[in-house]
Amino acid sequence: MLSKIREKTQGTFAWVILILICVPFALWGLQNYTEGGQESAVVIVGDKEFVQRDVNQAYAQFKQQYADMQLPEEMLKKQAIEKLIRDELLLQHVTAEKLSITDETVRKFIASLQYFQRDGRFDKKQYETLLATQGMTSAQFVNRIRKALLMEQYQKAITESSFVSQHDIDSFFKIQNQTRHIEYVTVNVQPVSDLPTSDEINAYYQQHINEYQSAEQVSVEYVELLIDDLMADIAPTEEQLKAYYEENKELYSTKERRKISHILFAKTKDTTEEQALAKAEAAQARLASEKFADLAATLSDDSLTAKNGGDLGLFEVGVMEPDFEKAAAKLALGEVSKPVKSAFGYHLITVTELVPAQTKTFSEVKNEVQQAVQRVEAETQFYQLAESLTDISFENSDNLQIVSDDLGLTIKRSGLFGRSAGEGIASEESIRNIAFSESVLQGHNSEPVELGDSRLVVLRLLEHLPSEAKPLASVQKEIIAAIQSNKAKAQARTVAKSIKAQLESGVSLSDAAKEQGLVVTEMTELKRNNGDLPWQVSQAVFKAAKPIAGKPTVLVVDSIEGDQTVVSLLSVSDGTKDDEAEQVKLAAANIARALGQADYSAVIEGIRAVTKVIVKD
Amino acid sequence: MEIYETEEEQVAALKDWWKANGSSVISGVVIAAITIGGWNFWQSYQKDKINTASDMYEQLLQADTAGKVELVDKFASKLNTEFSSTAYDAYALLFQAKEKVKQNDLSAAQAILEQAMTATDDVEIKHVARTRLIRVLLAQKEYEQGLQMIADVDQSSLSGFAGIYEELKGDLYVAMGQIGEARTAYQLALQAGQGSPLLQFKLDDLTAADSTQG
Repeated sequence: MLSKIREKTQGTFAWVILILICVPFALWGLQNYTEGGQESAVVIVGDKEFVQRDVNQAYAQFKQQYADMQLPEEMLKKQAIEKLIRDELLLQHVTAEKLSITDETVRKFIASLQYFQRDGRFDKKQYETLLATQGMTSAQFVNRIRKALLMEQYQKAITESSFVSQHDIDSFFKIQNQTRHIEYVTVNVQPVSDLPTSDEINAYYQQHINEYQSAEQVSVEYVELLIDDLMADIAPTEEQLKAYYEENKELYSTKERRKISHILFAKTKDTTEEQALAKAEAAQARLASEKFADLAATLSDDSLTAKNGGDLGLFEVGVMEPDFEKAAAKLALGEVSKPVKSAFGYHLITVTELVPAQTKTFSEVKNEVQQAVQRVEAETQFYQLAESLTDISFENSDNLQIVSDDLGLTIKRSGLFGRSAGEGIASEESIRNIAFSESVLQGHNSEPVELGDSRLVVLRLLEHLPSEAKPLASVQKEIIAAIQSNKAKAQARTVAKSIKAQLESGVSLSDAAKEQGLVVTEMTELKRNNGDLPWQVSQAVFKAAKPIAGKPTVLVVDSIEGDQTVVSLLSVSDGTKDDEAEQVKLAAANIARALGQADYSAVIEGIRAVTKVIVKD
Repeated sequence: MEIYETEEEQVAALKDWWKANGSSVISGVVIAAITIGGWNFWQSYQKDKINTASDMYEQLLQADTAGKVELVDKFASKLNTEFSSTAYDAYALLFQAKEKVKQNDLSAAQAILEQAMTATDDVEIKHVARTRLIRVLLAQKEYEQGLQMIADVDQSSLSGFAGIYEELKGDLYVAMGQIGEARTAYQLALQAGQGSPLLQFKLDDLTAADSTQG
């Protein structure tokens, strides 16, 4: 097909084909960049299509559910998609089965949910508020609940109706409480101190060369764009600085600090306004010879401030009544106002502390201004240069020289570093990751890497030391230890095997053990959940074939350390039911539940087998 | 088509036509009205019926959780008699069978599960009923009959239940003392997946003497 098209590329017909081929691609390509484009399905179940957004949502919900389990993201994503699929399969199935949930059932269920309850009762307001925070309408929520309840009806039909027969219970206990009669000896590993020959060492080294590899390393050259560097090159003129200073004067100013006190002559039902004013005027006369604070303490009807000499703290606009504020704002330090009327009565006001508003002069803050101007300018340049850096380094992906020349950036070099640690610029994880990325290892410039918001780096590979075998001399010690340990284990295995062979030829375990100087242990009623034997041994014993016609089953079990246990299994006795009725009941319930779960999984599997399910990567 | 010269002629023609066809037009309209009305009525009747069955099933579930055997029985027989056209019928039978097994009335359970198998069109629920029926047969020592039920399964619809049937086959053979066959069945069940958590346990108990150990 392809060759046919190629043959005809000379003629006009080929153009038609080429255009036909290219147009759909062009449109398809565009669609990914236009916002209005149709989202494509990533998971398809039957005739239902899920787009990425649905999958993300399912993942987010799933993640929340298992937040405290610290599972790897990949696994969670997979399971979230699996759950999405299973739920949809079930939903389609119950819909086909014409199951139904009445409004009444939905309502009752929602009302029973604790989230929507206040004082143990359904609270409509609570319900609406909670839904609103989830960005859901009541109709959407009811619909969701209805679906969930539908699926539950079907699931319960299978899982809750599961049962266990007397036969099942008996069979379970026969195996669960089974006991096995064994005797065994343990052949411990005896350390070997003989040094291996250099041939042995060499052979071992060659065979296990993969275990003795040095870590892969790279070094890179890079250019970096730094706001601080840019700032140094910017020399604003005096006019620019002054203009900036004028525009941003408030940055260099402090507000006025005015602390005020007052004495209140309150208007009450016993005191008329005139009487209050008279009292205020009388007090004012006394101020000639007495202190404001003392008078406030004795005369003020504002008992809260009276204790502190009438102190109202720092004066702020917009707290008191306008007349009061106007008077307070005008006063000089220590000056006392005429009586001022407010809704409470009459006040005498004074200012106890006054630091006037201050604006630093241009020359005082010139350095600060210069830095600010430089930074603003540098940031603008930074974003422009970052764009150029991105473009040029991408277009000239096989060198940094051009980008360095064009943008006036020096090329710097790093030392060698590995994937997991490095120094200087390689101490940044993002730098190490990109340095070991496929594209960089292939010799291309990296994408720009942001380090904080004022540093941008583009790097390329300088040197790549692939992982390689460490020289024999540097690992010789490890190898000798490994060979010795292997020999010791092999010796233990040989002893164990010879005992096994003896047993199989009819020699008793005690005779065979005596020959090796080993002690035989007998356990007449070994149970599954015994704590006396190492678990590997116990597990192997209960997996071993049952002895036939009085001939014991012989098995040898390895431990991780290399110790060998030779076991002779003499007989097996069926278990009986636990004595406690409660235990039996619990076991029965557990088996029934397990059977029900297995049925349910099988059902879902069956539905899936007849439904189209597609997951796109 | 004729061409009518005057209005009178047109009216006369219409009248003639009505005389000839009027009754069939009217009966057509009436039939259509009845059909649509009937269909709507049927639809809402069905919907009501399913809703009532659904409610009853919900109550059955509650009774089951609370362990009220008589109530379960009561709702179940109602669903079996009045709502046998709904899917809930078969579900109720599954619960009834569970109650019978609890009371150790195995032959009653057997009959109910047989009924459940025919009561439903849902292939999966059929399998659930069938595997449970086999379990009841096993408890009744009806081993041959149990094996026959497994042999009769429609292989094409087996997918999810393959492992469960094999495990049951193994259980039946163990009970019959045919250890070799049982082992093979358990191994097949293990390969198929979906077995019970006890499966490995049961298989380990049947290790063959000639299998190499250590």
